[in-house]
Amino acid sequence: MIQNLPWLFLLLPLVVAAIDWVCFSKRPCVAATLSLLSAAATFALCVAYLLGLETGTPGTYTWMPASVEQLNLHLGLVMDPLAMRMMLVVTGIGLLVHLFSLGYMKGDSSNLSRYFAGLSIFMFSMTCIVMASNLVMTFIGWEMVGFSSYLLIGHWFHKDSAADAAKKAFITNRVGDFGFLIGILLTLGIFGTMNFAEMGGKAAGIAPAMLTVTIICLFCGAVGKSAQFPLHVWLPDAMEGPTPVSALIHAATMVAAGVYMLVRLQVSMGTAAFTDTACMVIATVGAITAVLAAIIATQQDDIKRVLAYSTLSQLGYMVMAVGLLAGEAAMFHLYTHAWFKALLFLGAGAIIICCHHEQDIWKMGGLAKRMPLTVLCFLMGTFALIAIPGFSGFFSKEAILDAALAKCPVFFWVGAGVAALTTFYMVRLCIVAFLGRARDHWAEHAKEAGATMLLPLLVLAVMAIISGYGFIADWLVPFEGFHAHGFSVGLPFYVSMGALVIGLFLAVAIYGFGKRGNDPLAGNFISRALRNRLYIDTLYDKVLIGGIQEMFSHVVEFIDAACIRGLLAQGLAWITTRIGILLSWIQNGSLRSYTVAAGLGVVILVYILAFQL
Amino acid sequence: MIPLAHYLILSGILFSIGLAGVLIRKNIVVVFMCLEMMLSAANVALVAFSRAQGTQGIPVYDAQVLSLFITAIAAAEVAIGLALIVAMFRSRRSVESTALNTLKD
Amino acid sequence: MIETSICQIVFYVFALLAILFAICVVGSRNPVNSAMNMALSFGCVAAILFGLGAQFLGIVQIIVYAGAILVLFLFVVMMLDLKDEERNTGSMRSAAVGTTIAAILAGLITSISLSLPGATEISCPMAAICDNIGELAPGAEATQATPTPGYGGSLPALSPAAAAKAVQPDISDAEAAKATSMQDIRLLGQTLYTQYNIAFVILGFALLSGTVGAVALARKIRKD
Repeated sequence: MIQNLPWLFLLLPLVVAAIDWVCFSKRPCVAATLSLLSAAATFALCVAYLLGLETGTPGTYTWMPASVEQLNLHLGLVMDPLAMRMMLVVTGIGLLVHLFSLGYMKGDSSNLSRYFAGLSIFMFSMTCIVMASNLVMTFIGWEMVGFSSYLLIGHWFHKDSAADAAKKAFITNRVGDFGFLIGILLTLGIFGTMNFAEMGGKAAGIAPAMLTVTIICLFCGAVGKSAQFPLHVWLPDAMEGPTPVSALIHAATMVAAGVYMLVRLQVSMGTAAFTDTACMVIATVGAITAVLAAIIATQQDDIKRVLAYSTLSQLGYMVMAVGLLAGEAAMFHLYTHAWFKALLFLGAGAIIICCHHEQDIWKMGGLAKRMPLTVLCFLMGTFALIAIPGFSGFFSKEAILDAALAKCPVFFWVGAGVAALTTFYMVRLCIVAFLGRARDHWAEHAKEAGATMLLPLLVLAVMAIISGYGFIADWLVPFEGFHAHGFSVGLPFYVSMGALVIGLFLAVAIYGFGKRGNDPLAGNFISRALRNRLYIDTLYDKVLIGGIQEMFSHVVEFIDAACIRGLLAQGLAWITTRIGILLSWIQNGSLRSYTVAAGLGVVILVYILAFQL
Repeated sequence: MIPLAHYLILSGILFSIGLAGVLIRKNIVVVFMCLEMMLSAANVALVAFSRAQGTQGIPVYDAQVLSLFITAIAAAEVAIGLALIVAMFRSRRSVESTALNTLKD
Repeated sequence: MIETSICQIVFYVFALLAILFAICVVGSRNPVNSAMNMALSFGCVAAILFGLGAQFLGIVQIIVYAGAILVLFLFVVMMLDLKDEERNTGSMRSAAVGTTIAAILAGLITSISLSLPGATEISCPMAAICDNIGELAPGAEATQATPTPGYGGSLPALSPAAAAKAVQPDISDAEAAKATSMQDIRLLGQTLYTQYNIAFVILGFALLSGTVGAVALARKIRKD
């Protein structure tokens, strides 16, 4: 019952990150241990709070006092079930990823202290988002996760692709954050407060148009952070970072922050604040992302990219659910997805390590025989993702489909289609990578990963199976008043089963148990388009970088040439020269003109003194 | 009696003539003479003031002491100044003030 | 009254002469002529100092200026064998400029002197002309009502009796009243050697250093 104990959630990782970076930058073992300990401590703390062992509510601090009460910037922590159970996901997966990283990063020549400091600072930032009591604090955490994501994506910064991906992620997020910031200010304007606790019930008296604009602006932040269309381009590239980072940040937690933030807003503002138009926009964006990403995923060869697009697609699901005002379904899916997607990524990481950093699934094959335990865990994750009944993903996907059918059937059918595509590309991945014979030297000699990697996989596999069951979900799902739907046989069930069977059948029919060495679907026009990510990245390159940036570079060049160089540098020099020439006429070195000047000065002085001008 | 103002006017006119000489003449020696005239013009004004400020029929001798100092300093100044002129003449073969233009370089 | 008139006539005559000789110093092209005119001008100034009752200063003026300094100037002019200054258009222009500035300064000093409080009280030939200027000068009216004894107006008459009393405090009033001369040198010396003793000594050092400096500057620099 220590009142301010929850501040440890924030301070512990931050302090550890600083210590790692400042004191132990040359001793990665110590740094890693410290980070691991801080993750374990926050996890333990989180469990203690969930079990009710510790019940202190933290005080609120006024960080920047303002003359107007509503402009005061507070630092406060929210300890409601939504936040605490999200914290369980963050700290739990965080702990497992820290553990996994010990094995994954072993023998890596890069600076591991930096890596673990980055992980710790990410834990701090994510906690800041999850437990923020007001939008400003959320925004601080929002930017901090962007920063730590930048650090971790660019961990292998000597690789150009990693450095570029880090920049791309950071800059793309800026676009969304710009909207988010406007949204925060609009919220302050129309609600008169930024504290979540004070927003409730104020939406009634506000013009719907105003609300729509505000919500959409706030949604912009989620679009950036949760990588929704059209700002989704950064997430697949972010796979350049170390795989545990992809698991923690770009699959389980950070990208889910957008969804979490939207749900948090729904909870605190009330669903009344989410006007029909805003909801429509959110749901549509989510649906587009889900479909687009799922389609692109069917033709990716890189194991991490398949998973990345799958993450995009699942995030689209969640955002769609938020748009359908089914916050509880969104959080349920976020929750189950976090476990099984972290499992998939860590599994992929283990596979990649065992294949000596080979990520192309066509160069794997036959792994099921050589590393059965890892593959088994990976399959558990896959089954959860493609929603085989009994696995956690099935329940949460059902919840979303239920909600969609109830609110707007179009989204229901979209969701069903995406489910079929998901099954297709995941089964394709598994068949190609795990079955058949090894198609590469490294794949032939792959061995089971070490204990530090297997342990997290096993824990996550268990979570991927059980986290969807009613009683566990009721307790664990981060949504106040949530009750898992009982397993009901209805239209959603039939449709999703149909989608599962169709996807499974197509994948098996086309890839035939790993007998083939190349993709039979490759080579045609559609495949090329999909492999090039539907040319969206190319379009951005051409239009944004090639067009707008060119234009701005011209503007900047003009400013540089005309204003800085012409007006300031050369202009000043010109003026100085002119004045110098003018004054050098006075300074002519002739004694007599100096005397004349002195005499004139005397006359003027006498005049002034005598007549007291 | 002669009013103070007339002494002052005389002093001022002598001073102005000295100034005019300094400004007009190119020959440094003559310029120097004009400087001496300006100093002695100041002496006239000082002595006149010493009379004017006097009480009980005795002039204020402080002003006259000052005037004496000026005369003494003027003598020293002439000695140094003429030595400078001689040195200048040696190096430049001229005593024209227009020859003193090395400040320009 | 007649004595006063002679005093006045002497002053104005010497003043006029001093100005004329001074103009000749500036105007003459030959440096030797300039030096001679300067000596004459200084002589006139000395006469005016005598008229003011400063006999000692007048003598010093003659000895130092008209004597020593003149000789130095002449010596240098002769030694350097200076030629007449030639005139050209440039010098004409600078002459015009210099004359203008000097004339303005003279005008300023004149107007300031005449605007001194009480300057117009005196019956002098210029008083009527300068009346207006005096009145226009700032502060003139305010102080005219109670004229300061020190400024403007006639110079106060000298009192030999007071001077004698100042020199010899134990002298009786009757004997003091018999004194006819001012004992100017004694009074000046008293001030100089008591109140300004230290300054006087420092002045001696200044003269000494001036002499040394002059010798150092004027000696031939050996080439070795």
